[in-house]
Amino acid sequence: METLQENVQIQVRFITQQRKYAVTDSVILVPISLRRYGLSEIINHLLGFEKPIPFDFLIDNQFLRTSLSEYIQNANLSTENILTIKYVESLLPPTPLSTFQHYDWISSVKSHDQSLFLTGSYDNHVRIFNTSGECLKTFAGHQAPIKSVSWISVSDENVTFLSASQDQTIRAWEASLIDDKYLTLYECKGHKGNVESISLHPSHTKFASASWDSSILFWTTAIPEESEQEILEISSKRRKLNDRETKVKTPIAKMHGHVGPVSSVAFDINDHGKMYSGGWDHSVRIWDIESTTNFNTKNCDKSVLNIAYSEKSGLIASGHSDQVIRLWDPRAKGTLIFYSELLDLLIISII
Amino acid sequence: MPSDIENSDLSVEKKSGWKMISEDNEIDELNSQEGKIQEQYVIGANGYPREILPEIDPIYDSDTSIEDSINTVGNIPMEWYNDYPHIGYNIDGKMILKPAKGDELDKFLDSMEDPDTWMSVKDNSLQKNVRLTDEELEIIRRIQLGEFPDPNYDPYEPTVEWFTSKPEVMPLSAAPEPKRRFVPSKWEAKRIMKLVHAIRQGRIVPGKSQVQKPRFYNLWSDNDKPREDHVMNLQAPKMKLPENDESYNPPEEYLPNEQEKIEWENMDPDDREKNYLPKKYPSLRTVPAYDRFIQERFSRCLDLYMSPRIRRNKLNIDPESLIPKLPNPKDLQPFPTSLTLSYDGHTSRVRKLSIDPMGLWMISGSDDKTVRMWEITTGRCVKIWEFKEIIHSVAWCSDKDLCAFAVSCLNKVIVISPMDFSDAKTVDSTVKFATLGFANIEQNEKKVKLVEWQKPTEDEKSQGFLVVLVHLHNKTIKDINWHRRGDYFSTIASDAGNQSILIHQLSKHQTQQPFRKTHGLVQNVMFHPIKPLFFVATQKFVRIYNLMRQELIKTLQSGVKWISSLDVHPMGDNIIIGSYDKRLCWFDLDLSSKPYKTLRYHTKAIRNVTFHKHLPIFASCSDEGFIHVFHGMVYNDLLQNPLIVPVKVLKGGHKVVEGLGILHCEFHPTQPWIISSGADHSLKLWT
Repeated sequence: METLQENVQIQVRFITQQRKYAVTDSVILVPISLRRYGLSEIINHLLGFEKPIPFDFLIDNQFLRTSLSEYIQNANLSTENILTIKYVESLLPPTPLSTFQHYDWISSVKSHDQSLFLTGSYDNHVRIFNTSGECLKTFAGHQAPIKSVSWISVSDENVTFLSASQDQTIRAWEASLIDDKYLTLYECKGHKGNVESISLHPSHTKFASASWDSSILFWTTAIPEESEQEILEISSKRRKLNDRETKVKTPIAKMHGHVGPVSSVAFDINDHGKMYSGGWDHSVRIWDIESTTNFNTKNCDKSVLNIAYSEKSGLIASGHSDQVIRLWDPRAKGTLIFYSELLDLLIISII
Repeated sequence: MPSDIENSDLSVEKKSGWKMISEDNEIDELNSQEGKIQEQYVIGANGYPREILPEIDPIYDSDTSIEDSINTVGNIPMEWYNDYPHIGYNIDGKMILKPAKGDELDKFLDSMEDPDTWMSVKDNSLQKNVRLTDEELEIIRRIQLGEFPDPNYDPYEPTVEWFTSKPEVMPLSAAPEPKRRFVPSKWEAKRIMKLVHAIRQGRIVPGKSQVQKPRFYNLWSDNDKPREDHVMNLQAPKMKLPENDESYNPPEEYLPNEQEKIEWENMDPDDREKNYLPKKYPSLRTVPAYDRFIQERFSRCLDLYMSPRIRRNKLNIDPESLIPKLPNPKDLQPFPTSLTLSYDGHTSRVRKLSIDPMGLWMISGSDDKTVRMWEITTGRCVKIWEFKEIIHSVAWCSDKDLCAFAVSCLNKVIVISPMDFSDAKTVDSTVKFATLGFANIEQNEKKVKLVEWQKPTEDEKSQGFLVVLVHLHNKTIKDINWHRRGDYFSTIASDAGNQSILIHQLSKHQTQQPFRKTHGLVQNVMFHPIKPLFFVATQKFVRIYNLMRQELIKTLQSGVKWISSLDVHPMGDNIIIGSYDKRLCWFDLDLSSKPYKTLRYHTKAIRNVTFHKHLPIFASCSDEGFIHVFHGMVYNDLLQNPLIVPVKVLKGGHKVVEGLGILHCEFHPTQPWIISSGADHSLKLWT
């Protein structure tokens, strides 16, 4: 393989979407041997800032991690052509402050005011941690791995939260932060498959849950006076034992629409009447909460494994089985507005 | 020769003269030196001034070659100058006049007076006598005596032995004599055989008298015999036949109009499309003699002998055009393209995997004597069942309303329900469905018992065991296949003779032996997805039986040596088989009993072939560790053959361990995903 000479220069054009760092879009000759640092120096020189800012560079939506010459050689590009390089401000990866030691896989994490962390784990336990990494509380009750957790309310003394599990139930918990007491407020039964995701309505009075049985159930957070559901014919003895203690709650509404498992639900924080859900049937569905109808469906080619709603931009991000994150605008007619190809594994969670 | 000496003398004189001049100059004023030098120019032969340069004093012994003779005419016969007063020109282009020549009497007198006459010769170019030097006289003397002219030449110098005449003790090359020096030459033998062949055929006649051919022969005679047929004889191409417009009376439409005529005239003869203009004559009588006859004959002869004729054995076909036009794989999406997840945990090769009908869970059976249940999207192992023997096969019950799977372990088949992973109603109905048959055990006592349906122990029950089927033939169960309804399932134990295929009914706990005798080793069986048909793959054939009428419907001849796996298209009219001799055959049951397509893409034995339940894709996995994914479109139109397009090779997931790569692969029931299990103890998800 022929190697490119190191003193060769190449014409490049720098572009950016960060307007404050925009430089002239004229073509610049740069030595081919430059790496990220060298290119960053050029941009800093062009910007003329007092304090140099590190930049990262993308060619064809791929981060440049080698020298330009290696990139050109690997991509079989010509040094004669103009190379368009996109740059963004380089951000340092987050540094871990403290670790929350678990015995098994963690499936879900929710924080409250960045002081309390609720985690659901595959060892069937829900835990509360503080910022220094101490496990304040451990909650046992589920018979299968926890798949999703969600805070309901946090006060100085008491916390209430929800946890969804693969044992097809959702439990609401109340715990005191002062002493060791905790209790299960109620157990939500109604799903016929793993409960994959729960999402609390912004009003904190309702919540929705998505399950592998292709349904989305709607619940209130009010504590029932007594068990709402007649006890099913249960085969497992262990379940019967548990059922004696806790009150059982039934859903207030059922939303069917997805074909196949529903992987995620999210409420619209700006518009309290809307809810979004994503499923394995390649669709992101928009639901009207009042009428519990699916009034819009956005389809793509790959299964949706998780969705999240952004309060600021009003967009939905969805994680997919093809290692891509897609962004959707729920207000627009069109579907997809952006997708990234940076990840290597199934995207199972977006927060 | 005497001129040499004179010349050298002259040069010395000249040099000394010049030196004297320069000395004079030094004595005189220094300033006038430039003027003196200027004076040393003379008019040369070409009329331009020529500088007189100082004579070169060669350090080496002067040689004749560098000395210029006075006469510059060269080596020409001097008689040419007989009529002229001069004999040539000197370097300045001036005539050299003939020296005064006396008559014969003067010559005689000179020779009498001069004692050196005997040692002088006539210099032809100068036309006068010159005296020979002593050295030259010596040379002449030696030649006369028959000696070497050079007195210093020693003819008896000791010889230098460039090539020694003595044999060396050690040879320069110690290579042994090559074999070719002792065996008769192969190529000579071939050449001789060619000649012998030619003699036998009569092409070469030994001792044939050479018939004298006539020196001239009639080139244009009509009685030419056609040439004998010979490989090397190529017929000359035929001349083009005249066309309609060459007729003396062509139809009107062929006749050119005035403008076309002018155009034709103005065109360069080489550019003309035709070298004639169609012309009409009222009658054949008026047709003039063909004016271009000679020209045309000449160009024909040129064509015949100027262009070599060769026989082309190679067809000039673009290889690209031979490849069938297939659609672009990008247009045939979705299909799995990349490795996404790895399910690690097994400690030995994973022989079989099965995905539940909903596509949420997967079970895998391994040589480490465990069955593991996995969550497909996360790669989490949620449950492990341990057994006493190697797990050969696992299979989910195909009924979506039931939640159970069967595991084969030695001669046992165990039906297990993973209770914690389904809702209570389903589990309950599954348990009822599977254990209902214990009630009618007594009824079956009369028949020959093939299988004992046992109740699991309490300990086993807590793990979800529903029924244990102990096969009384005591052979290892290699494979389990469920009927689409989830009630019947078949087991294969290829060593068990006529009991190698058994069909069990889970709800009634009944076992049937469908075949009295089996043809060959059973490799795989399959239920038809729609009709009551049953596919049995032995080593070389696939037989299709009708279970209702209990008869053989068709025998498919695969043409492979050893079938490894079989799968039926969800529509039921097409099947694919994989073989240990690297082939994948697609059978269209409506078409023929021979394969519609045989694909050889793998470099090692194919372990499994599988169809997707909904999408038009199928895949094959092999020992080389690759999965080949194909687009296999089956059309409802009976006239249209299935379309098979290779779309993707999934590489780089599994390592080859002890010559085994991927042992099993299965498509996800709803998504375009494929999960493979390998000998490297892992399972991989490709999306």
